[in-house]
Amino acid sequence: MNFLTLFTRNLRRGPYTEPFPFGPPAPAPKRLRGRIEFDAKICEGCLLCEKLCPSGAIRFSRTREGLAFDCWHSTCVFCGTCEFYCPAGSIRQTTDWNLAHVEAETFAVAEHGLIPAIVCAECGGKGLDTAPNVSKVKPPLSDEEYAQLRARCPKCRNKFLKNRGKTP
Amino acid sequence: MTLLAKLKDVAARSPWLYRINAGSCNGCDVELATTALIPRYDVERLGCVYCGSPRHADIVLITGPLTKHVLAAAQRVYAEIPDPKVTVAVGVCPISGGIFRESYAICAPIDQYFPVDVNVPGCPPRPPAIIAGVAKAIAIWRSRL
Amino acid sequence: MTSQLPILVAALVFPGGVFALALGLALKGADRRFAARLQGRVGPPLAQPFFDIVKLGFKRTMAPDVACAPVFFGAPLVGAASMLLAMTLVPIAGVYAPNPIGGDLLVLLYLLAVPGIALMLAGSSSGSPYGAIGFSREMAMMIAYEGPIVLIVAAVALRVGLATGQGPTFSLSQIVAYQQAHGALLFDPVMWPAIVAFAFFYPANLGIVPFDIPEAETEVLEGPLLEYSGRPLALFKVMSALKAVVVLGLGVALFIPLPFAGVVGLVGWLVQLLALALIGVTAVRVGAGRMRIDQAFVFFLKWPLAFALIGVVAAAYFSAGVAP
Repeated sequence: MNFLTLFTRNLRRGPYTEPFPFGPPAPAPKRLRGRIEFDAKICEGCLLCEKLCPSGAIRFSRTREGLAFDCWHSTCVFCGTCEFYCPAGSIRQTTDWNLAHVEAETFAVAEHGLIPAIVCAECGGKGLDTAPNVSKVKPPLSDEEYAQLRARCPKCRNKFLKNRGKTP
Repeated sequence: MTLLAKLKDVAARSPWLYRINAGSCNGCDVELATTALIPRYDVERLGCVYCGSPRHADIVLITGPLTKHVLAAAQRVYAEIPDPKVTVAVGVCPISGGIFRESYAICAPIDQYFPVDVNVPGCPPRPPAIIAGVAKAIAIWRSRL
Repeated sequence: MTSQLPILVAALVFPGGVFALALGLALKGADRRFAARLQGRVGPPLAQPFFDIVKLGFKRTMAPDVACAPVFFGAPLVGAASMLLAMTLVPIAGVYAPNPIGGDLLVLLYLLAVPGIALMLAGSSSGSPYGAIGFSREMAMMIAYEGPIVLIVAAVALRVGLATGQGPTFSLSQIVAYQQAHGALLFDPVMWPAIVAFAFFYPANLGIVPFDIPEAETEVLEGPLLEYSGRPLALFKVMSALKAVVVLGLGVALFIPLPFAGVVGLVGWLVQLLALALIGVTAVRVGAGRMRIDQAFVFFLKWPLAFALIGVVAAAYFSAGVAP
């Protein structure tokens, strides 16, 4: 007679249904794997996420303005591999699940980002404004040194770190 | 509003859903079943019912990346659905192929074969996301009645 | 004060036609909403079946090439028409009495069989293998439940007829009048086996779980109605709504008619129908699982048939010699 207890409980308590779409949805669970978000300012430009993405949703492309990041949500499988392996924490999964759209907007449902191209402060060559990975550098860099490091091209960055602390 | 427009508004409150599994892994199909059965996400509030026969359907929900094996059958079933109808691609597989994108066995994206109207990305999409997609499809269907 | 109406008015306006259709669809809406609440969901609005019928009017009507078109399009018409006519034969205690035909209970029994036959014709004429399976399962269910209902009707006829001193009476008006004078047959211990048999008969006749085998969605893709779309499908929905009113009204008239007249009688009848629909149809439908066709067939040939037989024998044995 289990179903009778279920009936009385359901009739007494009322419906469990969440009000969406006639009202706001219930908050999404905290660890829900939702839409990808990219922060170009802290990206290192290592391209690990592009290599690891199982469905090929993440594409980096070299343009005149710099390194462009594109992630098409309609082929992303929301696995979280990119977030897991990103050394800088620049690509993250939000809890946003509300991605339904009409066919006309198919290619507009995407995440874009740009790591701008820079001119090296030292040699004047071409570089990218990627965030350098300086977590293991001892002694830790000051803010001024970090800014100087960031404004250089990769070769000059190596030189800068090697010559650090050596008086000219 | 004319009587015909009022009747069409009334008719738009009863969209019946039909699911075509075009080679899906069944993840999206489980979520589709969940939107109807679980008390928390009740799609019957919108007047929707899952019908057993394509002839009774108004909104078609297609899951799966349309494997070559199922292409002919899916096209035949799709042709059985009477007009006016709206097509919803549920999950990322019908939109782009999803994780199976580079497979030799699939024919995704399915908008080469079917006139898709609404996309619901997700792998699998949450039931409220599917309900949001169905709500958009109902609005499109109303304009086609 | 019962009244009699000309048959066309009775068939098209009250109590058949518009009134029965509105009532049947309203009962269906209440059934769906209550079923959702029993399951902890919100459920569709109460007028949902009306929306469904209107929507079906806008859909294209398609028929398979291999279907037999006259039968394919004629079956829903025959089914709906039979239920409209059957509604004129169901008395509403104190409000409406059908035009007295000598054996109108038997005519009603014949008419109640027509929707099942319409479903069978629909399934077999559609040319689809699922339709054929639906056809054979509907036939098995009809064979299973027609036996008990005939015996139940015979039991009631014997009881009322012998108690009033005549032979068995098949006039529904007389059955209702007898119960209004002597108390409903629900409280008559002699009729309890027949009432139990009726409680098994009506879920099978209305096609609700656990006996909705012919139209099982998940098993035979809606069985006989598989190939229908548009207006013929709307007619089938109309037919099933009217059938619900007829069968529940028949149950009320046979066993629990109220002794009131006029508006009070009509409201009481509506309340009885609603209560029967919610408790007898919805709660059963939500709480039970579907049986297999062989299980259902064997079950009906055992228990409801046995109860109905006991009911007939008891009615005959205990009614002879009861004072009118």
